[in-house]
Amino acid sequence: MISFLRMRLAGALATIFGASLISFILLRVLPGDPVRLIAGPLASEQALEGVRRQLGIDLPLPVQYARYIGGFVTGDWGFSFTAGGPVREVFASRIAATAELALFAFVIAFTAALILALLATYRRNRIIDGFVRVISTFGLGTPQFWLAMILLIVFFEQLNLFPGPSGRLDASTLAPPRVTGLLTVDSLLAGRWDAFSQAIEHLILPALSLGFVPFAFLVRLLRANLLEMSREPFIVVVRSKGIGYWATHTRHVLPNAFLPTLTASGLILAELLTGSVLVEKVFAWPGIGALVVDSILRQDYAVVQSFILLTAVLYVGVSFLVDMLYGVIDPRTRNPVSQRG
Amino acid sequence: MSAQTTIIKRTARPRITFEGVTAALRFILLDPTLLIAFLLMVLLVGLALLGPLLWGIDPLKLDFGAVFAAPSPQHPMGTDSLGRDIFARFYSGAQISLTVGVVAVVFGAVLGGAVGLIAGMSGGWVDVLLMRTMDAILAFPPLVLAMAITIGLGAGIETAAIAIIVTTIPWYARLVRSDVLRVRSMPFIEAAVAIGMARWPMIRRHVVPHIMPTLLIQAAASFGYAILALAALGFVGLGAQIPTPEWGAMITEGLSDALTGRWWVGVFPGVGILLAVTAANLFADRARDLLDIRAE
Repeated sequence: MISFLRMRLAGALATIFGASLISFILLRVLPGDPVRLIAGPLASEQALEGVRRQLGIDLPLPVQYARYIGGFVTGDWGFSFTAGGPVREVFASRIAATAELALFAFVIAFTAALILALLATYRRNRIIDGFVRVISTFGLGTPQFWLAMILLIVFFEQLNLFPGPSGRLDASTLAPPRVTGLLTVDSLLAGRWDAFSQAIEHLILPALSLGFVPFAFLVRLLRANLLEMSREPFIVVVRSKGIGYWATHTRHVLPNAFLPTLTASGLILAELLTGSVLVEKVFAWPGIGALVVDSILRQDYAVVQSFILLTAVLYVGVSFLVDMLYGVIDPRTRNPVSQRG
Repeated sequence: MSAQTTIIKRTARPRITFEGVTAALRFILLDPTLLIAFLLMVLLVGLALLGPLLWGIDPLKLDFGAVFAAPSPQHPMGTDSLGRDIFARFYSGAQISLTVGVVAVVFGAVLGGAVGLIAGMSGGWVDVLLMRTMDAILAFPPLVLAMAITIGLGAGIETAAIAIIVTTIPWYARLVRSDVLRVRSMPFIEAAVAIGMARWPMIRRHVVPHIMPTLLIQAAASFGYAILALAALGFVGLGAQIPTPEWGAMITEGLSDALTGRWWVGVFPGVGILLAVTAANLFADRARDLLDIRAE
């Protein structure tokens, strides 16, 4: 177990190293002349030289890379000239909005997927199963930003059931005192029911747009796993002992079907991260995703660069964690010799 | 089992015959899932090819006399803020997306397949180096990496296509490598080595045919990904540039009009994306059911 852990950790670190090299080359070495961009088109040769030295672009590439990684690890992620502050502070002020949205999207997607997958496989309900298959097929082909637009057209413009693209609260509402940064939690802590219901209303459409693709993915996976598990011999044994169908389904089939789903959490995280970039902009959501899109348009690459490397670290970190969790939950996978699939 | 062997036999000597094509068509027509996927693709490809001939309106032509015209027989999908005909832009978008999809699939499959084949056949440090590189690419969510690549190379359709190709290479490489490792341990390879067959002819004759089903399935899935990714890159301004009628960029343009009652500007391009990607996914799913040797 320890050697397996050590090997996995070394692998994860090597991957992050490779990823950092890729992002260094793509965003530091390749894109044009950042000096011109910062100093402006009218800057003198002397001023350019100054900026170059300040940025460290005159140094050899390996030194630049070392400084880049050193800066990243110590929390110096550069300066965002569009937001007018250090990237790390800008991220810190926006992470709660993104986290709250992603969390909501995930909870909606997971709950819906679980219920629908159980109903679809329980006694092989044909109608629900057909519905699940159609919706998951379309779900995987839906561009999130387009879905966001459709939801706004239908539920805001036409039916006026939910607020439009106006951020996390109505403009006239005062935000509750910041404790966690999650408005739903903070407003409850402050006992502000008006802010709470507004925060929920503002969350629903963005969360639906962001959660739809993970939902489609999860429901498909759960359905397939549930079907596969329900055909296992031990299920027949449980049934022949006289345990009811529903109890067998939820108590014996479901926990086993969950394990492969856990492996997909990396993919779901990736989906939520990229999704936030595509969805937040549509809803004027003050999160990191919208910031990244604005930074791309204004060529403020310090932001984009940090986002990309952070994403890789988070993504690799989560799949490492999942591997470890897998060993804890299912002892059969602990010993690499008996590892299955 | 018999279906698999015939496929392997057929791919061993790829020759397109009339009988082969009609047999494939009959197979598609009798399979509901494949039929839907096939019809969707025929519709989109048909629009992309015949649109310019039959409709013939310039997708870039401005008409300030017909700004924001609602869908009507004259403009089946309406017009946008500059009076451009959205139907013309829709099929031009189909041309762009389908072309990028095909290019991405061909290059991705060839390059990724080659990486997987080389890694699997050579083993040792070549394998480690290649697969570590693939892991580093896989460390990013694909779209995030695609964004980084287009930033590095400069925004545009060509660089977006390159970015999409790069992000798909590891998928092929991993699958093909594991296929190669599986095939390599089979008795017929041992036999081929034993009778003194040279390395490359053996790979071409006995290994490559076995990785074709995997490549095909992944290619279909990647086609859908490519179209979706191109649209997403276009949406954030890293793909096609204004005024190119690319579906993702068209949705961005339509976004500002969506809440003022001009829904048609952004809705139709998204329908195009949805149909194209769904067709590709349906095809990939069905192909996986029919061809996947490991799914027993």
